[in-house]
Amino acid sequence: MKNKTWLQSVLNIYLIEYALSAILRQKYKNFFILSIFTFLTFLLASVFFITNSIKYELESTLEALPQIIVQKIKAGRQDDMDVSAVDEILSIAGVSDAVARVWGYYYFQNAGVNFTLVGVDEYENQYKNSLEKIVQKFDFNNEENIPSMIVGQGVKENMSRNYYKQYFNFIKSEGTLKKVNIAGVFDADTQLESNDMIVMSKDEVREIFDIQQTKATDIVVKVVNPEEINTIASKIRLMYPECRVITNQDLQVSYQNIFDYKSGIFLALFIVCLFTFFMIVYDKASGLSSEEKREIGILKAIGWRVDDVLKEKFYESFILSFFAYVLGIGFAFAFVYIFQAPLLRNVFIGYSELKTSFELPFVFDTQTLFLVFFLSVPIYVAATILPSWKVATLEADEVIR
Amino acid sequence: MILTPEVLTLCILNILFAFFAIIAFVLSVKIFLQWDLNATTQKQYLLEKQSFLAATIIKYIFAIKVPLFLFFIFTLDKISHVLTGAMCAAGVVDATQYGTYLLILKVINLYIFAYWLMLHRADMQDENQPYTKRKFGLFIAAFFLFIAEVVLEGIMFSAIDVDKMVSCCGSLYSSSATSYVSNIFRIDTEVLLFVFYGNFVLIGLFYLLKNKYLFALSNLSFIVSGVITLIAFFGMYIYQLPTHHCPFCFLQNDYYYVGYLIYFLLFIGTFSGIGAGLLPASNTSRNIGYKISLLFNGLYVLLLSLYPLFFYIKNGVWL
Amino acid sequence: MIELIDVTKIYEVNKKESVRALSHINLKIKEGELVILKGSSGSGKSTILSLIAALSKPTSGEVLVDTKKISKLPDNFSSEYRRDNIGFVFQKYNLIPNLSVKENILLPLVPLNLDAQSMHQMSESVMQRFHIEHKQDVLVRNLSGGEQQRAAIARANINNPKIILADEPTANLDEKLSLHFIEMLRELKASNKTIVIATHDPLFFGLDFVDREIQVHNGSLVL
Repeated sequence: MKNKTWLQSVLNIYLIEYALSAILRQKYKNFFILSIFTFLTFLLASVFFITNSIKYELESTLEALPQIIVQKIKAGRQDDMDVSAVDEILSIAGVSDAVARVWGYYYFQNAGVNFTLVGVDEYENQYKNSLEKIVQKFDFNNEENIPSMIVGQGVKENMSRNYYKQYFNFIKSEGTLKKVNIAGVFDADTQLESNDMIVMSKDEVREIFDIQQTKATDIVVKVVNPEEINTIASKIRLMYPECRVITNQDLQVSYQNIFDYKSGIFLALFIVCLFTFFMIVYDKASGLSSEEKREIGILKAIGWRVDDVLKEKFYESFILSFFAYVLGIGFAFAFVYIFQAPLLRNVFIGYSELKTSFELPFVFDTQTLFLVFFLSVPIYVAATILPSWKVATLEADEVIR
Repeated sequence: MILTPEVLTLCILNILFAFFAIIAFVLSVKIFLQWDLNATTQKQYLLEKQSFLAATIIKYIFAIKVPLFLFFIFTLDKISHVLTGAMCAAGVVDATQYGTYLLILKVINLYIFAYWLMLHRADMQDENQPYTKRKFGLFIAAFFLFIAEVVLEGIMFSAIDVDKMVSCCGSLYSSSATSYVSNIFRIDTEVLLFVFYGNFVLIGLFYLLKNKYLFALSNLSFIVSGVITLIAFFGMYIYQLPTHHCPFCFLQNDYYYVGYLIYFLLFIGTFSGIGAGLLPASNTSRNIGYKISLLFNGLYVLLLSLYPLFFYIKNGVWL
Repeated sequence: MIELIDVTKIYEVNKKESVRALSHINLKIKEGELVILKGSSGSGKSTILSLIAALSKPTSGEVLVDTKKISKLPDNFSSEYRRDNIGFVFQKYNLIPNLSVKENILLPLVPLNLDAQSMHQMSESVMQRFHIEHKQDVLVRNLSGGEQQRAAIARANINNPKIILADEPTANLDEKLSLHFIEMLRELKASNKTIVIATHDPLFFGLDFVDREIQVHNGSLVL
């Protein structure tokens, strides 16, 4: 009898059993609380899952972005950059590569859409893996006199809808037409790239947008050690004070802030719900029937201590809230990752408009589980402290008479 | 101002804690002033009942505070990704002038709450409840420290400026830094190690002598010497870098979260040592306290010592 | 064994009203004694029982059991005292209707966190002793009055207490079952328990194995 295991001395199985049966004896009341609480944790967990997924998707897109972009600013607007800057930037220690990009947006009036025209040069290093693949796969100069291009899936669809099946006529900036053959369609890593991108040689892009041979749209810089990005960016700023220098970390931080802010606002609304719920639980738990009071009275009369009753009440609330927490998390998983979060996803519509279509990728983040836990279980348990204490300290001999 | 869901969660729970702590505080003051176990008045019976409420609230706060403290460190780690320059929690702690004090206050409060629980336990095991006044008196003091912690935490999070560049732990915890932390790097390694191991030997000695005050005192100094030696010496071997000393980085995934184990051992070891000295307990429970303290402090020393030892066996040199 | 010294108990109904349930009572009960407290309802006899069981504390005076001051014990210790020394049989049996007989009988042991085997043995032995083991898995609300009474007595005896207290134990029983209860009482008395019964049922008066009958009237003992 005295040889208790360590676990036995910490956990009293019989008390837990009793707590469970006490929950089941108050079926309707507890079912009501359980459903509301499950719904709240479900809502909360869903929001965090969605933001996590979007953040993950965004980060992987941002990672594909160049580490540093250098743009020339003139009259507050972006202007063409001198290609000669590439060599000067390359001379900075720690820079592994610098590429002058030639690209721009082309507005296709008939379809009312924007295409992204990207110029590539076969003999040059590409700043993106996906472009490298395209350059290796396709040959832009197979037909002598007519230039050709590779288009994304979305572009291809848009063009064929307007009967451009074999070629496309671009309107140059001075107003004349330029005919370019469609040499092929590519699949890229992410949907963002594949949908609206057209790849052709730099010379063609320069011709369409009327960019001089010595100019480029911007310069992207690759750095050996990612830790040095900020240092190198500030060096470039010193070299070209007239230019804007953007690092991928800048973008990442500002996006993270936007999302933290959005889920923060949601959380603020959630607090209101939570405190309403707190009051409901408090009310439900303190409005004890005389039968429940008598039950506690009996337990005290047959030798339960106040601490035993408090412990039993704690088990009750913990079991109930933890169960609701697990259920809520489970539902949220199914809702977000299997059903792709209908309705709730629109809260974060700002991002979905940016991208034509996207799936929420599965991201498992233990910290979110902790976060939801701290926002649910302790708050429920707190709501039951006062009512439990009131019951536990009832005068036994007055209740059981 | 930084408004991440994690920070908001910490704030919500802090508000909840503060609300309950105020209830417990009011009850504590009443009990502290009016408690008289011999009285048979209605008032005393009511106080006895209310003492259960106060104790339950304090237990509740402590039970959530411990995992929440870990969550707090976790949150700082996460915020460090947003702050330019910060690599781990150290940068966030340093980002405002309040960070360091908040962290120290949090640790002190953990010790005090844990001590309160031990006192409560001892109190409830005695028919005469001899420590009731003392424990609620202690809570009155603890309450102010706790509220200070809550307020400071709020101030710290609202003072963090996302656009400001902060220092990373590599520069904070290095011998070239100008902060007060860097002073510890001026101490000779030999002296430091001598103090560290010497302190542990003293704990062992006072255990044999069974002198509770000296035992508690040596444990108190072990917190200081343990942490300083960890930063100045053992940290290098954990990171296997002669220049990296940060006491936060090894809380991260890259070091298998070993930091949590290290701090857990130190906390349990020193806490039960101090508790055994301060607590007016029976000899048996004090003996258990002595033993736990010796065991966990011993494990702490052993764990830390193994790092340089393995490094030496593998590489044949000391850092 | 049990000693009440100058005990007064005042119930405060609210801030203005209060009821004096007992005034300046002195009572001594020896070990193994069976005492009947007689008196109309509201006379204060139930209050005496709850004071002995440390369910309530006296407004003034002292209650001693085995020379231990019960009236001064903090709640946790009075519960432990109750658990170790007292078996209480209530007027309405005070069983939990939606639990089975066995679960009800085991209730006092729940906080003790014993191992399953000794719990089983203890419950088996009391259920056999009070002839209720054939109903052990039946919910209490489906039992007859007599069966509930037996279950209540079995529960009061699971911790093998030295003192048995019964408050109007036959109030809800017909005569046949009441007589049956008295037989059980005789058996308990034979096993040298100290027994105090508060009742106004005339069936208890003049029984051969009762040591003393005490009249309680308006909060005082009539000697």
